[in-house]
Amino acid sequence: MKKITTIAALAGLSFNLLGAPVMASEPQAVYEFYCAQCHGLTGKGDGPNVTKDFPVSPRNFVDAAEMNKLSNADIKNVVLDGGPSAGKSPMMPPWGKTLTEEEVDGLVEYLRVLCACEGKQG
Amino acid sequence: MRLKLATAMGVACLALSAPVSHAAPADGQAIFEGKDCVSCHYTDGPAREKTIEDQLAKTGPELWYAGDKFQEEWLVGWLADPQPIRPMKFGSLTEENPADHPALSGDESATVTEFLMSLVSGEVEAGTVKVKKNAKGRQIFTKKMPCSGCHEYAGRKGGVTGGRSGPSLAEAGVRLNPDWILAYLQKPTLFKPVKMMPVFVGLLSDKDMANVASYVGNFKPKK
Repeated sequence: MKKITTIAALAGLSFNLLGAPVMASEPQAVYEFYCAQCHGLTGKGDGPNVTKDFPVSPRNFVDAAEMNKLSNADIKNVVLDGGPSAGKSPMMPPWGKTLTEEEVDGLVEYLRVLCACEGKQG
Repeated sequence: MRLKLATAMGVACLALSAPVSHAAPADGQAIFEGKDCVSCHYTDGPAREKTIEDQLAKTGPELWYAGDKFQEEWLVGWLADPQPIRPMKFGSLTEENPADHPALSGDESATVTEFLMSLVSGEVEAGTVKVKKNAKGRQIFTKKMPCSGCHEYAGRKGGVTGGRSGPSLAEAGVRLNPDWILAYLQKPTLFKPVKMMPVFVGLLSDKDMANVASYVGNFKPKK
């Protein structure tokens, strides 16, 4: 059932991208513009910045087991304040001065689509 | 004294070797428009982009502040022999830079440079950044707010290192005006309001931004 929901969500996002900019496609557009540089367009942590010299492995967003260890609030905090705020690498910069609160909330939802997981609750 | 003399001689030699243009910016503008450079680059400010879609619709960088951004001597040479600055195709995360930017003849490049260097924002204060080996700037660039994650630069073991989504900063010291680098960091919505780079205002102090500009401005070819 969850798979169907995910597929439907992805299909909806793609469909929306075909038309004029609409709110529903925005989180995917935001993800692909900012995050995919390191995390990759499909979320596997394989963006063009991840060369052999890249000092860490960006999180693989399609790894549901790993993504389930994080709550939505955990993800939001790291996006806003950067990796060091959660004891992670500064290679994840703080996006809090770049993205709006709404955009970050949309990103968190989109990452849940990519991992097809709900994350740690509470 | 010896250093000063050598520097003066070096500058004199460079001045002799670079094409000299006595053309007016309008002549350069005519070439720029005649060659259809305007199909990829707009030259009238302020910035037009308001959304990610606006930014992705562009096929080349805006040039309305080219006179702030570039160093004249570099620009003359680059227009005559354009080599990729970005590892990736403009606006793409999947396609390599095709290295297909049209080249101008020597005379044309000097004349178009006259035009491009006349394009300024009026928002860049000259002489603010002192270029030098800047340990603080290096620490920010490589560790604290790692610009190196998205920008290539010269590696310590030779060659380049760093990320590939942004423009390369290897030898950026001959390409970019360090005062513009500082202004670009300080005024994130003025030059390129929608960009893949984070906003650092409120995260880095003006002093630290100046340190980064000083460090990047010192990226020059090894002698």
